[in-house]
Amino acid sequence: MRKTLAVAWREFWATVGTKGFILGVFLPLIIMGGALSLMPILMNKSAPAVTGRIGVIDHSGAVADKLAKAFSPEELKKRTEKRVKRRMEQAGQMNPAMADEKTKRQAEMALQAMYKAPELSVDILGPDTDLDAAKAPIMEVAGKARDAGAAHQRLALAVIPAGAVKAAETGGFTPYEFFIAPKLDPEVQDDIREQISRAVVDARLEAAGLEAASVRSIIEQPRSETRVVTKEGERSSNEVAALLMPMGFMMLLWISVITGGQSLLSSTVEEKGSRIMEVLLSAVSPMQLMVGKIIGQMGVALVILLVYAALGVGSLAAFRQMHMLDPMNLVYLAVFFVLGFFMVASMMAAIGSAVNDIREAQALMGPVMMVLVIPMVLWMPISRNPNSTFAQVCSYLPPINPFIMVVRLAGSEEIPAWQIPISILTALFGAVVSAWFAAKVFRIGVLMYGKPPNFRTLLKWVRMA
Amino acid sequence: MTDAIQIRGVTKTFGPKVAVRNLDLTIPQGSLYGFIGPNGAGKTTTIRMIMSIIFPDKGDLEVLGRTSALDSKDQIGYLPEERGVYRKMRVGAFLNFMGRLKGVDALHLDRIVRDWLDRVGLKDCYRKKCEELSKGMQQKVQFIAAAIHKPQLLILDEPFSGLDPVNRRLLRELIMEQHRAGHTVIFSTHAMFEAEQLCDHLFMIHKGDKVLDLPIGEVWRKYDPRTVIIEPMEALHDVDSSSWASLPGVREVQQGGRGFDLRLTDDADPSAVMEAVTRTTRVRRMEIKRPSLEDIFIDLVGGEAAGLRAELEAEHGATPELTEVARA
Repeated sequence: MRKTLAVAWREFWATVGTKGFILGVFLPLIIMGGALSLMPILMNKSAPAVTGRIGVIDHSGAVADKLAKAFSPEELKKRTEKRVKRRMEQAGQMNPAMADEKTKRQAEMALQAMYKAPELSVDILGPDTDLDAAKAPIMEVAGKARDAGAAHQRLALAVIPAGAVKAAETGGFTPYEFFIAPKLDPEVQDDIREQISRAVVDARLEAAGLEAASVRSIIEQPRSETRVVTKEGERSSNEVAALLMPMGFMMLLWISVITGGQSLLSSTVEEKGSRIMEVLLSAVSPMQLMVGKIIGQMGVALVILLVYAALGVGSLAAFRQMHMLDPMNLVYLAVFFVLGFFMVASMMAAIGSAVNDIREAQALMGPVMMVLVIPMVLWMPISRNPNSTFAQVCSYLPPINPFIMVVRLAGSEEIPAWQIPISILTALFGAVVSAWFAAKVFRIGVLMYGKPPNFRTLLKWVRMA
Repeated sequence: MTDAIQIRGVTKTFGPKVAVRNLDLTIPQGSLYGFIGPNGAGKTTTIRMIMSIIFPDKGDLEVLGRTSALDSKDQIGYLPEERGVYRKMRVGAFLNFMGRLKGVDALHLDRIVRDWLDRVGLKDCYRKKCEELSKGMQQKVQFIAAAIHKPQLLILDEPFSGLDPVNRRLLRELIMEQHRAGHTVIFSTHAMFEAEQLCDHLFMIHKGDKVLDLPIGEVWRKYDPRTVIIEPMEALHDVDSSSWASLPGVREVQQGGRGFDLRLTDDADPSAVMEAVTRTTRVRRMEIKRPSLEDIFIDLVGGEAAGLRAELEAEHGATPELTEVARA
């Protein structure tokens, strides 16, 4: 045991103590932190406002004026302010930190910088304008720098048929036609379409003898917030965050396990490649060596898990969303981490011991990785539907079940309690089987040099040992 | 005194190739045993079986009184033929790690490591990374790793390969020191003069078969010297060597680069021959030539001598004596 721990200790420090590891773990954090603090500065330097003109050919005679009014500078400004306000409200719901006045002001400034009012105006073209001639200026815009003589550029063209306002005999309205320049800001596009729709509908209301403004005030419904009722009280539902939770859990588990496994693979290949294996085997048995290495790399994986889990929990606390985190899930995360790591690490140790260099390892790694990315592909459907038959079946399939289970546990539905111990048991079974397999392959593999092995050779070794 | 190693009827095959065939070998405690033989003869296989790294197909062996070396790993030091170091690890840390793996008391371990490094002239390398050392320096570090726990049984597989003469001598001294301390030392080599200089017991293996297993004294007795080397003061062509051929006991006279070799008959008295030669010729150097282990080896494996000679010459330069023996 003492020797096993000595091996583990060396393995741990040889991996964690390298500059590469420290950079690999902390650099993403630094980049993320840096990006977050730079964001407002970058946002202030956002792209210039969209400027240009919108052509309108109005066969109905009732829409063009309304549209021209909707794109007057005052209206444009009003709409932009409204959008900023809505975003602020959304941000306030998502992030209680926004309650702080200073943060709020900063966010508002950032949003205002982001949503610059577009400088648009409307050209009303006569009903007998040739359509192709009207479209030609749009084509000129394509490929040209948008800012050169920007104000004169025609960015869009709307053709309102008479049938758009006056219903046909058979009932129903004709849609308007809409042409735009390529790469027009989607938000601006949406705004133009919305304004055209409004103008058309207003024209219809007026044609029906109704006052558009009063009808609008009747049909407009303020947005209401969804609230989840629980025993602990009500709270606002947060779709996005609820979806991120299972993903966060799975990514934590996956990244830490795979990183630890990969580094076990490369350290085993290195020991074999630099011919240190036999020196080690003069002092320890292959089993002691393998177990020591697995424990050491488990420490490495644990460091990664803890750093990122702390980051996750920390940001939940910062955004006052701790209620989303069930502490029991952290316990399960730890259990499934150990089981999942043992399964993956055993496979990596077996592969590492069997090959002569890292290139040969890649060939054997292919199928293993193919299995291990399954949870990455499945987290979305499973977190949406944690109790589907498919999700349940996957919960009992080592080696992917630890990953599936953390997704299900963090998912939106409660899962039957009895499934948890069963999944743990199947994972345990998987861990024991893969460790047994790895021990056999490892014993033979570590001193085998020469022909690169395939899976059939590995099975032969298992029978031999 | 018990035996350090007992091998009884051990056979090991790799596929169709028989690496070791029905080997019996007993190595007494405290002996300094040389395993010699050309590359691929079965030395490393035998050593790996002793170390329980691979297991025999047939037969059994006992190491330090146990059936497996695994049970007494902490009493065995092993320098494998395939040896490496952790390239990124510092020398001191590496030796401390190896010492811990071998169960050296952690309290004194670091001091032992520093003492050892000092003794092999690597005092300044404690903090260096292993990859910064030359091959010879790495080899010394590996020797320390093998011997750091004062093993009762020290097994060195090709310990001299890749060392310069100074370090060869240093290593010889270190081996002798282990021997004097009463530890059993086994080393393998294909460079036979190393074995000649060091060991007190010889084990020769060729193509998996034991061809010789004797104390070194016995070897010399058995392969009694039968050649006298003469280097005359005068130039070779001025010497009348034809008369020597008629001296009693001389079978044949051969002229070499610097002098003559007198081959004696089996019943000849070398000192009488030498005396007779000095009566007629002024001599700069004269000696009874002991057969080298190479000679003996080639003698033993007989028919395959030609191939072996080529191999040995390729290993460490041509040896003129060897060429002559083979011709004879």
